[in-house]
Parts: sequence; C-alpha cells; structure tokens
Amino acid sequence: MKILSRFIVILALSFSAATAFGQGLADRVQEYTLENGMKLLMVPRHTSPTVAAWIRFKVGSVDERSDERGLAHLLEHMLFKGTKTLGTRDFAAEKPLLDQIEATAQQLMAEQLKRDQADGKELARLHKELDRLEKEAEKYVVKDEFADLYSRNGGAGYNAFTSKDGTTYLINLPSNKMELWAAIESDRMRNAVLREFYTEMKVVKEERRRSYDAEPEGKLWESFIADAFNAHPNGQPTIGWMSDIENLTRTKAERFLHKYYAPNNAIMAIVGDIDPQQTIALVEKYFGAIPPGTPVPPVAVEEPPQSGEKRTEVIGDAEPELMIGFHKPTLPAPDDYVFDVIDMLLTNGRTSRLYKKLVQEKQLATSVSAFAAPGSRYPNLFIINATPRAPHTVSEVESAIYQELERLKTEPMTQKELQQILNQLEFQESSQMASNGGLARNLTEYEAVAGSWRYLIEHRQKVASITPADVMRVAKQYFTRENRSVGFITKK
Amino acid sequence: MKCMKRLFLTIGALGLMTGCASTQVATTTGSPAALENADPRTMTFPPLTFRIPRSERVQLKNGMVVYLLQDHELPIVNLTAYLNAGSIYDPADKVGIASLTGASLRSGGTKATSPDKMDRELEFMASSLESSIGADHANVSLATLTRNLDRTLALFAELMTRPAFDQARVELARMQAIEAIRRQNDDPKAIASRELSRAIYPDHPLSRIPTLASVRAITRDDMIAFQERYFYPANTILAVSGDFDREKLLKNLETLFAGWPNRAASFPAVPEPKEDASAAVLHVQKEVNQSVIRMGHLGIDKSNPDLHAIKVMDYILGGGFTSRLTQEIRSNQGLAYNVDSYFDPGRRFKGPFMAETETKSESTVKAATLLRSIIAGMTLAEVSEKELKLAKDSIINSFIFGFARSDAVVNQQARLEFYGYPAGYLENYRDNIARVTRADVLRVARKYLHPDAMKLVVVGDEKKFDAPLSVFGSVREITLDQVK
Repeated sequence: MKILSRFIVILALSFSAATAFGQGLADRVQEYTLENGMKLLMVPRHTSPTVAAWIRFKVGSVDERSDERGLAHLLEHMLFKGTKTLGTRDFAAEKPLLDQIEATAQQLMAEQLKRDQADGKELARLHKELDRLEKEAEKYVVKDEFADLYSRNGGAGYNAFTSKDGTTYLINLPSNKMELWAAIESDRMRNAVLREFYTEMKVVKEERRRSYDAEPEGKLWESFIADAFNAHPNGQPTIGWMSDIENLTRTKAERFLHKYYAPNNAIMAIVGDIDPQQTIALVEKYFGAIPPGTPVPPVAVEEPPQSGEKRTEVIGDAEPELMIGFHKPTLPAPDDYVFDVIDMLLTNGRTSRLYKKLVQEKQLATSVSAFAAPGSRYPNLFIINATPRAPHTVSEVESAIYQELERLKTEPMTQKELQQILNQLEFQESSQMASNGGLARNLTEYEAVAGSWRYLIEHRQKVASITPADVMRVAKQYFTRENRSVGFITKK
Repeated sequence: MKCMKRLFLTIGALGLMTGCASTQVATTTGSPAALENADPRTMTFPPLTFRIPRSERVQLKNGMVVYLLQDHELPIVNLTAYLNAGSIYDPADKVGIASLTGASLRSGGTKATSPDKMDRELEFMASSLESSIGADHANVSLATLTRNLDRTLALFAELMTRPAFDQARVELARMQAIEAIRRQNDDPKAIASRELSRAIYPDHPLSRIPTLASVRAITRDDMIAFQERYFYPANTILAVSGDFDREKLLKNLETLFAGWPNRAASFPAVPEPKEDASAAVLHVQKEVNQSVIRMGHLGIDKSNPDLHAIKVMDYILGGGFTSRLTQEIRSNQGLAYNVDSYFDPGRRFKGPFMAETETKSESTVKAATLLRSIIAGMTLAEVSEKELKLAKDSIINSFIFGFARSDAVVNQQARLEFYGYPAGYLENYRDNIARVTRADVLRVARKYLHPDAMKLVVVGDEKKFDAPLSVFGSVREITLDQVK
C-alpha cells in the first residue's frame, strides 16, 4: 500500500510538471503564417545576444523520382553557391557561360551513357570543353559569398543538411544581424543560381566515398536500409548511388528547386534574443513578396508487407556490427508512441533491458542502441544496433536480442519502468531547450514531420497513457520474423 | 530583388535587368523604407551590447574551488568536476590506466551504494552521473532535474570520495577496452589520425595507446591507487550552472566534502615533446576508394605570445568555408568534401599543427601536393587585406557564441583556472585579435609553419594512387597489427 501510494504521488507530480512544461513552451512559441504560406515559429530567449535561425524545406530525398536520386542533397550543396547578385561579379555575363556548361555537360553524359559504344575522341573533346568553360565562368564567381558575409558578421555554425524528409539551412547570428539573415535567405529562396554545379558534383562524390564507400559502418547502413525497402523511396540513399550522382544535371536541379523550394513548403524557427513583432515585420518585408510554389505531393507508393526475413551481409575490412530492423508506422500513429516506450525500455541507460542482458550479464556486446529510421514522414523501421564483443558472434548477439523481444510479448512492463521513462522524457524536454539551436531544430523538425511543433508538448502525455498491454500487443504484432531485416558486417 | 548592385558593376547588364531595377532603390535610409530590402554587401547594423558573463568563484573550507552561475530558466542543474589527472601520467607498462579508471569509477559504484543500486536510483530520477579521464584532466559530471539535485549531489560526492571499483564492473570496463583495441583499425580516418599523432609525438605519453598487454596488466588495486593519488579537494575545481539555490548548494557541498582529506600533490614528471625538424612519409595500405591524408608537425602551447596572430593565420589557411584550403581543394577543384587545418594550442604541452583531407585514390598525390603547397603559400607572401579583415571580423564577431549557454560560461571559467590561462585571457581576446596585422600573419607563418618538416600520413590503396608517395620522400610502410 505504501509503495503504491508513493507512485501515485510521483505520477501526480510528474503530470503537473508536464503540464507546466507544456504551458511553458506553448506560451513561449509564437506562430505566424505569411500569406504565401510560410510558417514562422519564434521563441524569445534573452540569455545571450544571439539567435538561432533554422529554415526547413519540407522536401527531401523521398520526394525524388528515380532519375533524381541524390538531387535534394546535391541541391542543398548548390544553394550555397549564391544568387543573381551574390556570388557573382556579373550575372548577365556569367549566365550564357552557365548555359553552355549545361549543354556541354549534358552532351558529355549522353556520350558516356553509350558506355562501350562511346566515342573516345568526342568524350575527350567534351571533357576539355567543359573544363575550359568552367574556368571561363570561374572568372565571374565571388567564392562562397554567403559564407563570407555570414562569417564576417559573426555567424556561427552556418550549415545545412538533407534527410529523407526535408532540407534544413541553419545559422547562429549575433542578434543585431537578423536583417542580414533575412536578406540572404530570402534572396537564396527566390534567386538562387546553381553555379559551379559540375565541380560541386565531384565534392558530393567525395562526400559519398567518405561517408559510405570507405566507411564500413556507413556501407552497412546504406545497404541495410536499401534492402529493407522494396518499393518505398525511404530505402534509397539520400546522397544517391554513385551513378545517380554522376547523372544529375543542373536542369533537373533547377526544375526541383523552382517547384518546391518556396515559402509554402518552408518552416522557419527563430529562437533567441528577438522581439517577435519586429521579427514578423522583418520576415514580412523580405519574404512576404515571394510567390508560393507547388505543394510537395505525398509519396503514393506504399511498402508492401514483408513476407520473410531479409538478411544483408557486408563483407569488409572491419569487425562485426549488427542491425536489426522491423517495419512500423510513423508518428503520430498511436503505435509509434508505444515504440518510443519500447526503445527506452530496451536501450536507454545502464538499467535498460538489452544493456543489462547483452552488455552486463552475458557480455556478448559492448554497446546496444535503438532508434527509428531512416525517415519520419512515411512508415519506417524500429532499429536495434549492437556491437558484438569477440569472441562472440553476430548470431549469438542476434539470438540474445530476440529472447528479450520475446519477453516483451509476454511479461508486462512494470509501473516503475513506465514512470522512469516519463521522468526521462521530462528531463529531455528541459535539456532540449538548453540551446537556441536545439530548440529551433525540434520546432522545425516536428512542425514538418508531425504536422505541428505541439507534438513536443503532447508527447509525454501520450506516452503516460500507454499500458503494459499496449507494449505486449505491439511487440507481438511487429517483432516477427516476417517483418524483420537483419544487416551485419562480416570481417574479410 | 537586389539588382542595383549589378547596375553599379556593369552597365552592360542593364538591358537584362530593367525589370529588376525598377523595383530596387540603392539605399534603404530614405522612405518608403518598408518596401526596400537592403544589400547584404553594404548593410549596416545597430550596435550590439555584450558583456562577458561572469560566474562566481568560491573556495570551500577544504580548498576545493567552485564556480557558480545560477540560471533559473529551466528546471535543471549541471555540475562538472575537473581534476588534474590524465593518461599523460600513465606508467609505460600500464598505458590505459587513466581511461580505464575513468570508466570504472562511475560504473563501479561506491562503498555505500552498489553499482546496480546506483544505476537504478539515478536512472529513475532521470539524473546522470558520469566519469571520464582524458589526456590531461579527469571529469566527473552530473545533470539532474532541480527536484532531484540533493540526492544526485550526494551520490556525486560519494563517487568522488568513496568509490568502490566493483570487481565485476572493472572487468566489464577492461573487456570493453580490449574490444576497442581490436576495432582500432576499422576506420581509415581514425588510423590516420592516430599514426600522425605517433609521428609528431614519438615515444611521448601524448601519443601512446593502450595495448592488450597493458590493459590486461592493470589491476583493480592500481585503479584504487590512481584514484586516491589524484582525487582530493585541492586538486578539484567544480563548475555548477542552472537552477540551484546558491546558499543551499554551498552548504551542501561543505557538508558532503567536509571529511575529504587533502593529499600532497604528486604528479609524475612528463617530458616536453621533442622538436623534430625531419620530414616523414608514412603509408598504411587499405583497400578503399578514398585516401585519408593527414599531415602536420609540433605546434604551440596556449601561452605562446603569438597565439592571436596564429589564430588569424589559422582562419585564413584552414578555417571554414572561406579558407584557402576549402576554396581551392574543395570548391575550385572538387577534390574533397572535407579539408581543413589548425593549430591546437596545447594546454600543458605544445599541441600539434595538423592539416587533413580525404580524396579519391586517383587524386591522392595531387591533393596532398596541393595541401602542402597551400600551407607553404602562407610563408611566401602576406595575406590580402580582405582575407585579414574577414578573419578578424569573424573571430571577433562570433566571440559571443562562447557564452550563449550558462553551462558553457561556467565551465569555460573553471577551465581557465584549471589550466592556468593568463589573467585577462578572455577579456583581452578580441583586442588582441584586432591588433594582428598582415605582417604579423606572415611572420608567424614563417616561424610556426614548417611545410618541409611535416609528417605525412596516407591511408589508402596505393595501387590506385595517381603517383607513388615516394615523390614526397622515402616512404615508411606501417603494417596494421591484427589483434586477435
């Protein structure tokens, strides 16, 4: 009785705290939507005279056609190259050269695609011509002018990233420099010029080699995800396969750009030392006149149910690594919250079930983690990743994981386990607000993939209502051999 | 729409640009200002008010120093202890003892609280308590919701003063360390960085790495002795930030650490790294389609009088998107995704200067040659006024980001004392940067960059290189030990 009442007290406490946090964030986030559809989320925080500004475009690699694989990511790089006024000494003189480069590059690609029948002399001529034109165009380029302007004004962490779900541009600026951000970003949204395209393609190929080809874990990740999806573009690598990258063109990139990189597909989060009314006025002034583009259409294809285990082996010059994935729905489906609970039960901390069993007791693995991937807009995978400890094998680790997954189907989660998870989520809610950038990231991410940043507020209440029966039901439904993909590295 | 700039630059563009030009006004000071967008190239800004935030320094009765900065925005508290200990003090036959002690300290529980109980209690509260020991410092840190501060702080104090080094947890940490040694040759980038460090610091504690034999030789008693030797109040600085009550926290710290005895300082002598003007070329064979290139030599420590000029030079040569290395190797030639260089100003000893990139096997020698020649270029002529201004503006204007979080502020101030930075280091930093001239940059480039005395490490598939590495000098082949 005593123990029980203690838990009731704790639960009550944590609910009121959850409400307090929810109200705190709800009170502090200010939303504003421009007429052209652009969504602006603001949180004033005056800890330091700095601002994090994130722009998320709701278009990512799942939105590419099969001849566009890698395009969203390459375009992310290309949007660093300037506009009709920035990054160039003379766009009018530069433009005809850019068009000649494009025509030559397309001829070169067409010739290369003849493979064995390609004309060697013609290839050499086109290579030479492309080099010549690129050198000629280089004369007009003001190198990395966005980065230059941001840097000299104290910008920090200027970067961008592309995922299955979207593309994000981020910068931290001293709070007196917000007009610079508005001027650059509105110009980028409206007037981007994809100069230096075919040189940047080489950079992206090096990025691919660095992250996937020459990195054993990267290679496992890419192969495992690609094998797990037969139909849905969630399976295709965001960076594209090497031959995808080689056959992208500036023409394709511009088509993609002009269709989707528009205010109606954009979400901004501005967190830090701001006045929301002034920020709205600034954003209206610089972005208000930009016309909307095409809404990103939903990806129609659905991943057919899997009918048997898939196994992906990567033989490489590295020690074994293991990934196990199960297809599952994505947020905000009710079962996705149950997976969040399962994730924490299995791998969050030294007391988690898989850590205790695999790392501490059986000592089969040195680490184990779980997460949802590769994207969140469409059904994804619940993935368990473990690092076997020699002399133990991948299959020993695999069996031990399956035993724990079976336990989830039959042994109910305890009230104390659930309470621990809620306490952990409460801590995470606060710690994610410790930096302007962390909060801006979460606001843009959840506004884009869950439909509203309020997901951040509601998540813990939803988790609190999950029952031990929910966990057993979900474990039984999804943790099956038929629904499973397994990837592993075998040392050469 | 920003077409005005074009009109100034080239009248020839006028025909193409009239549509734009009609909506653009050259300056934004006149009315109707609301409709005019300013040019980022010429934009001016209101002044920024910024004052370096200060934390409070308090010394406890037992000699422990505490830096405090309250911040009640979020209901969390962060605390980090810094202790002078580290792998630089590892005995040669027990390399790895510092890092193994760091891992086992937290996981091994305390004399009052078993490891399992400690794990359960902390995780239920959503508090974290972690320990680690690096090259030149030990950290024990906690993060907690405010409501659990008292209990978490009590467990922190137990761990600092009465760790148990539970035998089973010690063995677990040892097995993890052995597995890490088995995996140390999986990632080509990690191999290259390790081998460069060994080449720059031959036979020095800064480059030694644990082996199976050294890790197996470390006993639980060794760890207990290690902890006792270095963990005492006068060797500890705490940094605390967040939602705490100052009076209560200090009172708790006085009580929790009241009986903790001080010890006589006893730190093994560590030799200064040797200056070595010889170049070297090292190759590690890996069958990959991209080579990892690392090069460098011994650099400077934090007290170097030329530190600020070196920071400016660093920025121009290898810092960020606008650096010479990135502009040429990445942006102009498309040879790499990642390329940079930097002086790491050592806190206790001279740190390294390092340059790094990765490029496809077929352009290995081309990229390495270019990297070296761009570094050498810094010693040949003064940088441009534009480069100098960009570097200085960037460093000075982004200075405030070191103070954007209260936990960063308090930890930074604790580290300044911990490593003995000169008084006024932060306060004078921007002025010192502002004073750097083009002549200074050339002078420090000539004094501190040694393009002909670099250790070059390449990890890659030599059959596919564009030229043999011997173009750089006599090549020493490094064979990776297969650890069973």
